[in-house]
Amino acid sequence: MTTVAALAATPLRAAFVRAAAAIGVFAALASLFFVSIGQPPATMFVEIARAAAGSGYAVGESLVRATPIMLCALATLVPARLGLVSVGADGQLYAGAIVGTGALLAWPLAPGPVLLSAVLVGGAIGGALWALGPALLRAFVPVHETISTLMLNWVAAMLVTWLVHGAWRNPASQGWPASIEFPDTARLPVLGDSRVHAGLALALVLAVVLHAVLTRTRSGLVLDVLRDNPRLQAVTGCAVAPRIVATMLVGGAFAGLAGIVETSVVQGRLQSDLANGAGLAGFLVAWLAGNRVPQTVALALLVGAVLAAGDGLQIATAVPSSATLVVQGLMFVALLAVGGASARWRGVGHGRG
Amino acid sequence: MAPVELRLNGLCKRFRDVVAVHDASLVIRGGEVLALLGENGAGKSTLMRLAYGMVRPDAGHIEIDARRVRFDAPRDAVAAGIGMVFQQFSLIDTLSVRENLALAWPRAPWWLGRDARRPGALDAHLARLVPGVDPRARTGDLAVGVRQQIEIAKVLLREARCVILDEPTAVLTPAEAGALHARVRALARDGFAVVLITHKTADVRACADRVAVMRAGRVVGEAPAADAADARIVEWMVGVAPAPAAARPARAADTPVRLSVRGLCAGPVRDVALDVHAGEIVAVAGVSGSGQVALAEALTGLRPLDAGQVTLDGQALRAPGRPARPVAALAAIPADPRRTAIAPSRSLAVNLALKRLAVQPWRVRRAALEEQARAPIARFDVRPPDPRRPAGTLSGGNLQKLVIARELQGDPTAVVACYPTMGLDVVATAQVRDAMLTLAANGCAVLWFGEDLDDLLAHAHRIVVMFDGRLVADLDAHTATPQQVGVWMSGHAIAPDPLRQAA
Repeated sequence: MTTVAALAATPLRAAFVRAAAAIGVFAALASLFFVSIGQPPATMFVEIARAAAGSGYAVGESLVRATPIMLCALATLVPARLGLVSVGADGQLYAGAIVGTGALLAWPLAPGPVLLSAVLVGGAIGGALWALGPALLRAFVPVHETISTLMLNWVAAMLVTWLVHGAWRNPASQGWPASIEFPDTARLPVLGDSRVHAGLALALVLAVVLHAVLTRTRSGLVLDVLRDNPRLQAVTGCAVAPRIVATMLVGGAFAGLAGIVETSVVQGRLQSDLANGAGLAGFLVAWLAGNRVPQTVALALLVGAVLAAGDGLQIATAVPSSATLVVQGLMFVALLAVGGASARWRGVGHGRG
Repeated sequence: MAPVELRLNGLCKRFRDVVAVHDASLVIRGGEVLALLGENGAGKSTLMRLAYGMVRPDAGHIEIDARRVRFDAPRDAVAAGIGMVFQQFSLIDTLSVRENLALAWPRAPWWLGRDARRPGALDAHLARLVPGVDPRARTGDLAVGVRQQIEIAKVLLREARCVILDEPTAVLTPAEAGALHARVRALARDGFAVVLITHKTADVRACADRVAVMRAGRVVGEAPAADAADARIVEWMVGVAPAPAAARPARAADTPVRLSVRGLCAGPVRDVALDVHAGEIVAVAGVSGSGQVALAEALTGLRPLDAGQVTLDGQALRAPGRPARPVAALAAIPADPRRTAIAPSRSLAVNLALKRLAVQPWRVRRAALEEQARAPIARFDVRPPDPRRPAGTLSGGNLQKLVIARELQGDPTAVVACYPTMGLDVVATAQVRDAMLTLAANGCAVLWFGEDLDDLLAHAHRIVVMFDGRLVADLDAHTATPQQVGVWMSGHAIAPDPLRQAA
C-alpha cells in the first residue's frame, strides 16, 4: 500500500503505474488462458504483437478495425458527458449506413464531391435520427435511454437485412443479399495500397474538435455541471431536456458516420452484420476511458489492434480467431480491475467523518 | 444489565495530511448521558467512529470494563455492546418497521413469516421503545423523528449497552427533539451509556449529565453538565469567548414590498400569500412536513408552481409553466444544498459561477473563474480556500458557506434562505446570521425558513407559521412567545381568520 501510494505521487506517474499494472494483470490472465488451451504463452504474445503491428499491412488492418470502434466510442461518450448511458451505437451505425446508402441510390450519378458529401452527411443524419426517438423519450416522457437505445439496435439491424433482401438488393449480385457497390466517387480516399481510409483521419479530427468543445467551452462546462447535479438547472437556468436531445443527436451522428464509412469504403456495399461488434466495443472503450476523449482514442486504437490480431492469428497459428475474443475480454477485465483498484487506493468512497 | 464502562485511551487518527483525532481520552459510563460537543471538523464524529470500529486508530487503545479490546470492524464493536445511530439512517425505507427490526435482530428465527410476523418479541420491543408506531407501517412513510427512534430501537435490539448518537437533533423539529431528549434520559435511567454528539448547547441543557468538548482533534474540556455554562462550552469549542449575538436591525416603517407571493400552490403548499418588505426579516416556522420546504423550493425555483405568482420588486419571478432562471437580485439558499445547489465534482470556482454559467463567454477561461472566486471565498471564509478544489470535498458547513457566498455575490434585494444554519457550527452560524442581518439592514427583504424557534424570534421582525401547507399565523416577532408559535405550529389554534387576528 505504502509503495503504491508513493509511486502514484504525481498524476502522470500514477497513470504510468496504472498502465503497467493493467498490462501485468492482462499478461497474467492471458498466459493462464493460453496455457489452458495448450499454447505456449510467450509465443502467443509474440504472434499477437506481430499480427497487430508486425508489418505495414498489419498496422493498416489494425487501424481499419479501430476506426468504427473509435467513432462508436465517441458516440457513447458525448451523451455520457451529460450522464446518459446510450448503448445504441450499433443501431445508429446501421441507420447511418441505411441513410448514406439511400443517398447513393437516390442520386447515383451526381458529381463526385456532391455524392460523397451526400453519402457522408446522410450517414451522420441517419445515426442522429436513430438517436432522436430515445432522446425525445428520455427528455420529455421520461423513458430510460439505455433500454430504448438497446432495443432499437435490433430494429436497425433487421431493417438493413430487410432492405438488402428486398428493395435494395443488387439484381446483379446473384442471390447474395447486398446493395449495389459504392462507386469510387462515393468512397473516401484510401492511403496507398492499404485499406486505411480517410475515415480514420476524419474520426481523429472530429475527436480533437470534440475534445476542445467538451473541455474548453461553455457548452462543455454546462454538460459537466448538469451531469454532476441535474437539479442545477434551476440555479443555472440551463435546461437539461434540450441538452439531452443535443448530445444524443451528436452521438448518433458519430455512430452513423462509422456506419456509412464502413459500408462505403471497407465493405463497399450495404450488407447485414456490418457493425461487427463495433458498437459494443466502442461502449466499453468509452466507459473504460472514463468518457475522456484522448484516452478513448488511444484505447480504441489498442482494441482495434487486438481484434485485427485475431484475424491474423488464425492464419499464423492453429488458434481459432474466437480465442482473440477471449483475449479481448481479458484485456477489458484487466483494465477494469486496475481501474477499480486504483480508485480504492486513492480512497474514493472512503469519506472522512 | 451491568453498567458498562468504555475507556478511550490516547486515541490518534490521521487521514493523510489531516489530523482528525489527536491523543484523545474519554470515559463513557453506563447510566450517564455524555454530550460530546465540538465545531464541525473538531473530530467528535471520528472519535466515536473509532469507538464503533468504523475507523481504526493509529495509536491508543480502547478498554471495555477494564479489558483491552480491539475493533477491526463495527461488528466487533456491536458484539462488545456498542451501538451507533448515524445522521444517515440505515433503515430500509421500502420495508415495514417490523421487517427492519427483524433484519437487525441477531436472534431472529430463520422463518419469519409474512411481514416478519412470527417473532412476537419484535412487536413487544417496538411497543416498549417507540409506542404508537404500527409495526406494519412502511418505514419510509414515517416522520424523521419516528425513524430515528426506530434506529435506536434497532441498536438496542442488538443488545447494545452503549448507544452513540451522531448529531441526532440536527434533523429534528423542536417537538421531535424533545421526544428524543426524553428517550435519551430514559435510556440512562435504565443503565445504558449514551453519547450524544452535538454542537448545540440546548441538547446539553435538555438531557446531558456530563459534557466533553473537542477542538482540533483534542478533548479540550470536560465537566459535569450542571457546572458547564453555555458560554464556557462555546469558549472551549471555538477557543475564544463568544461574541454577543447581533441584535435584529431596526426596521423603518412603511418600506415598500419587495418579495410578494400571491395564491401560491405547489405540491403540498396551498394558497400561500405573503409580502416581505425592504429591510424586513420574515421567519417561516412549522413542524417538519408542514410544507415549508416545498414553499422554499417553489420560491427558489426548485419546484414548479401549480398556481399563483411570485414577484420581486414588481417583476415576475415565478409563475406556473415558467422555467426557473437565475436572478441576480434573489439570493436563493435552498435546504440541503449538497443535493440542490452544488455540482459536487466541479471546482469551487465553477460552483461560485453557476448563476452566471449561461452568460459565460463561449470559451471559458478557468483561470479567470478561479480569480473571480477568491473574493467570495475569502469573504465567507470557505475552507480550504482553494478555488480548484472539488466542492463535494468540503464539509457541510463550508459547503453551506460556499452557496451563501455565491448567492450574495450579486447584491441581492431579496433572500430566501431555507435552514441556512442547519449543521453549521457556532462560528459559521453567527457568520451566516450576521450576513442576513446586514443584508436586511441594507434594505434587503429576507425570508428565513428556520428550525430554531428561539433564534427566529430573536432575529426576525415577523414570524409566519405553516401548518398543513397553509400559512396559519402571521405574528409580530417582537412580542410573540415560543409557546404561542408552538400552538400555531401544532395546528391546534386554527381560527376562522388567523391572519387578521394575529395582526
